[in-house]
Amino acid sequence: MVKLLRHGLKEAITKIQGAILVVIIIAAVVGVITYYTLPPPEVREIKIGFIGNLASPYSLSAKAAAQLAVEEINEAGGILGKRVTLIIEDSKGEKPKLVEVYKKLVMMDRVLAVIVAESVEMGVAAIQTGAELYPEYPHIFICTIGSGDAIWHHVRDNYEKYKFAFQTYYFTSSGYLTVLAKTLLPHIFKGIMNATKVAEIYEDMAWTIPLREGISGVSPPKKQVYEEQGLTVVFQAVVSVDQKMFTTLFEQIAASGAEVIDCAIGYIDEVAFIKQWAESPARNIPLYIWGGIAGMPAAWNATEGKVLGVCVGSSLVRAPITQKTIPFMDNLVQKYGVGPIFGSHTTYDSIYGLKKAIEMAGSASDVEAIISAMEKVREVAVLGTIGWDPRYHYNLPYPHYITPTIQWQKGGEMVVIWPENVAMGKYIPPALLRG
Amino acid sequence: MMWELFQLIMLYSLIFGSIYLLISLGFSLICGVLRIFHLGYGLHFLLTVYLTWMFMKELQLGLIPSITLMVITQLLIAIAMYLGIFRKFVEEEEKLMTLSLLVFLIFENLFNYLYPITAGVNIPVTIMKGVINIGAATISSQMVVAALVGLATTCLLTIFFLRTRTGLIMRAISQNLVASMLMGVNINIVYCLAIILSVIPTIICMLMISPFWGIEPSMGTPLLSIAIVISILGGLGNLKGSIIASFLIGAVHSLVSFTLNPRFMMLAGLLLAIIILTFKSEGLCGAERLW
Repeated sequence: MVKLLRHGLKEAITKIQGAILVVIIIAAVVGVITYYTLPPPEVREIKIGFIGNLASPYSLSAKAAAQLAVEEINEAGGILGKRVTLIIEDSKGEKPKLVEVYKKLVMMDRVLAVIVAESVEMGVAAIQTGAELYPEYPHIFICTIGSGDAIWHHVRDNYEKYKFAFQTYYFTSSGYLTVLAKTLLPHIFKGIMNATKVAEIYEDMAWTIPLREGISGVSPPKKQVYEEQGLTVVFQAVVSVDQKMFTTLFEQIAASGAEVIDCAIGYIDEVAFIKQWAESPARNIPLYIWGGIAGMPAAWNATEGKVLGVCVGSSLVRAPITQKTIPFMDNLVQKYGVGPIFGSHTTYDSIYGLKKAIEMAGSASDVEAIISAMEKVREVAVLGTIGWDPRYHYNLPYPHYITPTIQWQKGGEMVVIWPENVAMGKYIPPALLRG
Repeated sequence: MMWELFQLIMLYSLIFGSIYLLISLGFSLICGVLRIFHLGYGLHFLLTVYLTWMFMKELQLGLIPSITLMVITQLLIAIAMYLGIFRKFVEEEEKLMTLSLLVFLIFENLFNYLYPITAGVNIPVTIMKGVINIGAATISSQMVVAALVGLATTCLLTIFFLRTRTGLIMRAISQNLVASMLMGVNINIVYCLAIILSVIPTIICMLMISPFWGIEPSMGTPLLSIAIVISILGGLGNLKGSIIASFLIGAVHSLVSFTLNPRFMMLAGLLLAIIILTFKSEGLCGAERLW
């Protein structure tokens, strides 16, 4: 009897164990199916991470622009009814620190998007970190400072791995060659300045290499592009970033017969460059500068007014490109005490572009849908229209995104001379401005 | 064409040489008298500009009062550095160099925080506006003034060291400190005077070159680099050597600018320095004596 009971009990226990095992297996299968088929849980708030070198004026201005965009979005009811939270981290300009805070934002703070307002070199470190994290932590990455092509080249070369990355800047290097050098500058030099002989100056930085050497399969060097547009390059030089004396350069430019000095510079000592141009034999040859401090209001005082007559591509002037331009500039100064400088427009516009994409996707958690929407976004921006190339993820250049050309005129006024529809005045040769 | 090129090269050699002389004089003086490799020397270029700007902007003083106050403040800072760092660590050269560099970096970062490049710092010290045509060259008038002032300052300092009693004492100290002490020289007072004298050329330099130099918080480092190269090439602490080295480097920069590429100016100067030092390790005129 006892043996029978023991045998029965053993059988019963074995059946229970078997039943439990079956239940566990079924639960596991159902769980896996659920995980991969059900949509992710809806978030209560939308978190955006911002990384910059908070000791640099560029990142500080971009940070303020990000804060302004988020504040405005929340005041208008958020995105899809959800409040937006901006989490700010300082990279201190160091790649290891950037990688560390990027991971913290994505893995611990679980941000939907990371905005990196630093140079393209730092953006490359970020995109590679993001690519490692993306499979487990889907998110969006936007680099908003830096014209180098390195970011979108990653997307071009491996879309599946880097599709989460977007680049927003006034121009990319290829955009400089295919749009700025091919169309805009020849129009400004020939049509506005009445100049056909060009002296080319390049700073010795990575971003000018494509301009000097061309981009295989995209464009020949800038010199050749100019010559195809009817300009003659009569002088060419590369200046070192640590150079302080430029007077001998201007002696040679004056001797070359140049009618305009085209300067692809932004990081050299522009204040010394401009001061020495203004008192050199080349002082009456128009100076066109692509970027840097020459396009900032501080240039007038920094050069003691010797920037008079200089033309520069600058988005820091109160020209109403769209109905958002002036309010953006005013609010940035009034609310955050910083002026808009390079990177602030692109950061602000990128956040609004992201907002539009989230609304088009109808979800703040379905990252794949948001990426797809970002490739289709066309949203009114501070500098025109924000949108990204659907295949390569760089922001759409001119005529979508516009950087006005200004000339420094009397009294330190930055007068827009191009595009014509927002021009505030006419170009005046430097010799006439000096009287 | 060749004659014009020759004129340009010669003229800019003189201009550059005179300006580099102003930049390096104070550094040579400190090396020669105090035997200190003053890595914080770049600080005084910064202080000249940023103190003047600060007094004009924050205290609303005029240019001349601001410059006067800046000079006084600079001299006090120089004396404080001598008493707090140089005198204390004169036997511990590594600590001395590190501390003087640290002070320099602290001020550099402070000015970068208070007045970054976007603050548009400038001091309106242009003496002559416009350009001057000299032969084939068209040169900024202020640059010519800076070069002439550089030459004048050098002449005055040279006369001081060769013709005055105090100058003689300083030269004696630079040759033999112990013997000088035995002769009754008050070393501390002479050292203080040397520190004060070393600051004056940097003040004059920045007031002269500000109209054509880029003003930014990091400008002290390239100026210090120029001073170091010239001082080492001329013979560390040797004023005569610094004078020769300044014009030699100026000539190389000018020659390379006009015949090769302005971009290689600095590199060419450094290569020249290293070639000369390979054959004359003490520099052009020998180290460790003032003249």
